[in-house]
Amino acid sequence: MPKVIPVPDALSTPFWDAVNEKRLSLQYCTACRKLQYPPQQSCQVCASAAHLEWKDVNGRGHIATYIVIEDGRLNRRMPDQPYNLAMVTLDEDPTVNFYSNLPGTPPYAVPVGAPVEVVFEEVAPGQLIHEWRVIP
Amino acid sequence: MATQSQYSWRRDKDGLGVWEHRGKVAVAGVGHSPVDRRWDGVSMDQTLGAYTILACQRAMQEAGVTLDQVDGIICCQSHIAGASGGSASQWAPRPYFAPPYDSEWGLTLINAEWLIKQMQFPNIRYAPDNVPTISEMVGLAAQAVGDGLCHTCLVIYPTGNLEGRYRRGGENADDYARGARQWTVPWGNHGGNDFINIFPHNQYCLKYGGTHDDLAPFVVNQHRNGLLTPWGFNATHDIPQLTIEDYVSSRYILNPLRLWDCDRPVNASAAYLFTTAERARDMQQPPVYVLNHAQHNFRQRTTQPDLDEIEMWTDRAARRMYEGAGLGPQDVDIFNPYDGYATMTQFFLEAFQWHGVKRGEAFAFYAGDIRVEGPHPFCSSGGNLGNGRTRTAMYTDSIEQLRGTAGARQVTVRAETALAAFTTPSSGGWIMFGKHPS
Amino acid sequence: MARLISFDIDGTLEVGDPPGYITMEMVRRAKELGYIIGSCSDRTVSNQQRIWMAHDISVAFTVLKHQLPLVKAEFSAEQYYHIGDTNIDQHYAERAGFAFLYPDTSVDHLWFPH
Repeated sequence: MPKVIPVPDALSTPFWDAVNEKRLSLQYCTACRKLQYPPQQSCQVCASAAHLEWKDVNGRGHIATYIVIEDGRLNRRMPDQPYNLAMVTLDEDPTVNFYSNLPGTPPYAVPVGAPVEVVFEEVAPGQLIHEWRVIP
Repeated sequence: MATQSQYSWRRDKDGLGVWEHRGKVAVAGVGHSPVDRRWDGVSMDQTLGAYTILACQRAMQEAGVTLDQVDGIICCQSHIAGASGGSASQWAPRPYFAPPYDSEWGLTLINAEWLIKQMQFPNIRYAPDNVPTISEMVGLAAQAVGDGLCHTCLVIYPTGNLEGRYRRGGENADDYARGARQWTVPWGNHGGNDFINIFPHNQYCLKYGGTHDDLAPFVVNQHRNGLLTPWGFNATHDIPQLTIEDYVSSRYILNPLRLWDCDRPVNASAAYLFTTAERARDMQQPPVYVLNHAQHNFRQRTTQPDLDEIEMWTDRAARRMYEGAGLGPQDVDIFNPYDGYATMTQFFLEAFQWHGVKRGEAFAFYAGDIRVEGPHPFCSSGGNLGNGRTRTAMYTDSIEQLRGTAGARQVTVRAETALAAFTTPSSGGWIMFGKHPS
Repeated sequence: MARLISFDIDGTLEVGDPPGYITMEMVRRAKELGYIIGSCSDRTVSNQQRIWMAHDISVAFTVLKHQLPLVKAEFSAEQYYHIGDTNIDQHYAERAGFAFLYPDTSVDHLWFPH
């Protein structure tokens, strides 16, 4: 079933443009050498925007933990229940994490600790989102 | 009237030292309205506005204070469910009623202006707008009285709900995720502390051992304490005592978060009378002194806070509170942390090290004797889980325990200090009360 | 073979919170018509049983909302119905192979003699 569609704004447009090109590109402060996601107005370490740029990451991560949504409140996703919602940490920087429904992994059968790789799913014509798939 | 946003009242930084007004401000009155599940849309004596007026009257009556003696009104004017509250949070587009119910004010929202007009307070000199939720509002009141902006202040927390359900419709009915929601909603996180805390809770179980259902004794005890709270929803609606079996057989909401880990939305209001310690001593109830208030607003570093962050945040909030009160874990007699979801309370317990509970020890503590009459009367209020989502039981019970008027909930251990909060690990505030000013 | 009706309580029965369309008289009548009846609710089982006792109605089952498969396993029926007012009622009903009905006039046909 269709997922809820993200609406890019001025800050996030570069991120979503990259996703639509099937690239995972995160903000990176060259001064602090710190990736951050979601994007923010300034670096979360030095509070400056002066050294923020976008950097493609390799899209590898690990499943830290997960839940199964059985009774959520999003109208659009109710037909999908139950479905997985995992917290995925980025291998390049495990303090960066993402949500994922883990396409291809049945509900309740999530291998916590397993490696995952980023994949891209269409949620609307011309709009992809980043998802994560367990690496067999 | 002052706008509180221009007033620097928060104690939201580390290293502020002992609060300058420690023991000089007191709570002198408490008032609760009936606690309903919803509003029937017909009974005008049961609107959020009517209930708020009633709560104020009860607080003033308890203190022995008249309308003309009140010079401050601090009233939270935000929806408890926010923009995703849908028709539970907004009466429109249904037709309004005759004044004073000819807008959302009085039906789903209350502010100082509406209240002052309806109750005809003649001498209000401090009634800020942009008032935060009760987690911070009690701190604002304590600071305002301490600083002399007012001397006798009603602190009012209306928790409205028209339908007895939250976050149905509104933003959650949208096919699009805008703003901050673009990072969470596409994957199913509708936004709330149910999600925020369940992931760290899972990590907690992995790190320290235990399972989610180790929360069962805590939740059951909250229900027990709620049934001992005469004004609470459970006690006034004949809700049977929850058992361990009821808990572990209940369905999942966000597996492993169970139905009974979640509080019950209600339509109710509460009021507290804050005043100077001097004035409080001449009022009808034994004063309950404010020893410190502290706030926190920690920014998460990525999509989902993890266990490390939750522990770091709660540790910092605890240090901040203890420093400002000039006290330590061994000094806290009554401990009423928030239980809005059962999955967050353990983090507060361990951060504040109440009764010596350290990181990873909460589940074993829950399995022990935490009854209100026992040696470790944890959450003597019953919180939201035991009373409905008023977010005020923690404060009322703390005050009553120190007064010695908690009735069937009165603890048998020493009751001279109390720590209370509606707060989440990331943002909110704490307040420390004392039976004595120093 | 008999047919079975499972009733949600809150938002469905008149004694629920909020009150719903189905009166207790309708429940009694369903039993008289030969339906196997019971409740399926988020209320605890003891709470559900208390309601039925208070109204002097003997029911065949009292289960939690996600336990309709247990009802189906225990009772053989020609048709299984669950009447409830939320999407979760529908979700669990359909997963268990029950026909889901919303508590309004659309359920009245169940009370026509069959």
